[in-house]
Amino acid sequence: MTDSLLSRWFCRIYLVMLYAYPREFRLQFGGEMQQFFRDRCRQVSRTPGAWNWLRFAIHSAADWISTLFQERTAAVREVTVEDCARKTFQIVRTVWSVGRHAQPRGFVAEWAMTLIVFLFATTTLVQAYVVPTGSMESTVMIGDHMLVDRVAYSDHGSWGAHLLPYREVQRGDIICFHYPEDVRQIYVKRVIGVPGDRIHMENKQVVRNGRRLREPYTQHIDPMIDPYRDNFPQAPQWNTSPRGREMFAGDVRNGELIVPPGKLFVMGDNRENSADSRYWGLVPRDYVVGKPVFVYWSYDAPTADLESWSIDHIVDVAAHFFTKTRWNRTFLVPRAQPAEIVP
Amino acid sequence: MSKPSKLEDLLPLTPPVFHILVALSGDELHGYGIMQDVARQTNDALQLGPGTLYGCLKRMLAAGMVEESDVRPDPALDDERRRYYRMTPLGRRVVRAEAQRLADAVGAAKARRLFDRPKAGVTGGA
Repeated sequence: MTDSLLSRWFCRIYLVMLYAYPREFRLQFGGEMQQFFRDRCRQVSRTPGAWNWLRFAIHSAADWISTLFQERTAAVREVTVEDCARKTFQIVRTVWSVGRHAQPRGFVAEWAMTLIVFLFATTTLVQAYVVPTGSMESTVMIGDHMLVDRVAYSDHGSWGAHLLPYREVQRGDIICFHYPEDVRQIYVKRVIGVPGDRIHMENKQVVRNGRRLREPYTQHIDPMIDPYRDNFPQAPQWNTSPRGREMFAGDVRNGELIVPPGKLFVMGDNRENSADSRYWGLVPRDYVVGKPVFVYWSYDAPTADLESWSIDHIVDVAAHFFTKTRWNRTFLVPRAQPAEIVP
Repeated sequence: MSKPSKLEDLLPLTPPVFHILVALSGDELHGYGIMQDVARQTNDALQLGPGTLYGCLKRMLAAGMVEESDVRPDPALDDERRRYYRMTPLGRRVVRAEAQRLADAVGAAKARRLFDRPKAGVTGGA
């Protein structure tokens, strides 16, 4: 179901390459060609070895260049008077709108480049993401719009990992990941336990591998002790999800959670108001999307408005952009922070 | 758009067009299916790239050799972006004529002993 990073890259490059074909051809067959190309990528990725990818890339490039030439010359032959008139009109309009100072060609090329960079950057390298809940409050707030670096923790052993900066997820890292209960949602939490760690909590304090942690990044809003929440792991309760129950049944031994291979134990920094691994279980390593890079816009709005843009929200932003934007949070970097060990 | 074409104007076919028609002589196929079938026909000697395939299909549609099919033979594996193609009666006549032309050419070459003898030990099929 999931394509490898490399094949996604290939498909994206191909999508851009399609724009070189004449417009009519692209409109008629572009979608199919993309689908075709993706099928080919899948086929290639089933046969192991980098050599196959190279051969596939060369073959595809040769196909592209030769047919490009063919379709381009065919398009010239099929031009009618009507087309000529339309093209002329387009050129005139472009020149007109750009004005006398800028050269039309430079203008078009610049926008094309911008579009290409934008396509690549937004889908492969970074992704915009808005925080809808307060579970990480004190570190990230409701309404923080941030860019997520998708390359930082890309699949271990994948092809791209050798080319791009990459490191393994570490304790204290803030990660964005697909919420295991509903993979369409992206959650942001802090990593507390990596595979092999033994974890339990004593009165809100995390004990990892037998050592008490002092976590400067946490926020405590409730002085009361809730045994389930603050003395994890206890017996599952009403708001423990089935996945959470699985964790309790399989990975808890002698009152401690032992993080199994390929899984991560995550918690929100707002410990008393965070639905996290304590309730819905562990995060599979493959579900990690990336790490937040910085907050590019922080806007004070209720959760519902941030999940989907409504008319009210647009009006609200238009009216209160300057007052409700938290300027002090702009370009804030949510930092990974290792916990200290209490002596 | 498709104008009635005369058989003679369409021959000889280029190898990709010929193999695509052969592929479509059976079931209706989508682009990727055609590519796979052509690879099978030619023992992987002809791997159609997307540009080649859809360039050919465009010209074949214009000539009326193939048409788009609205049948979805494989709804389970289906993707809405896939379109299926089928051969028209004209396409069938064209591919038969081309096959005959090729057979005649092969026959002429055979008559002048331009074929390698089948190697001993290899029992060739028909």
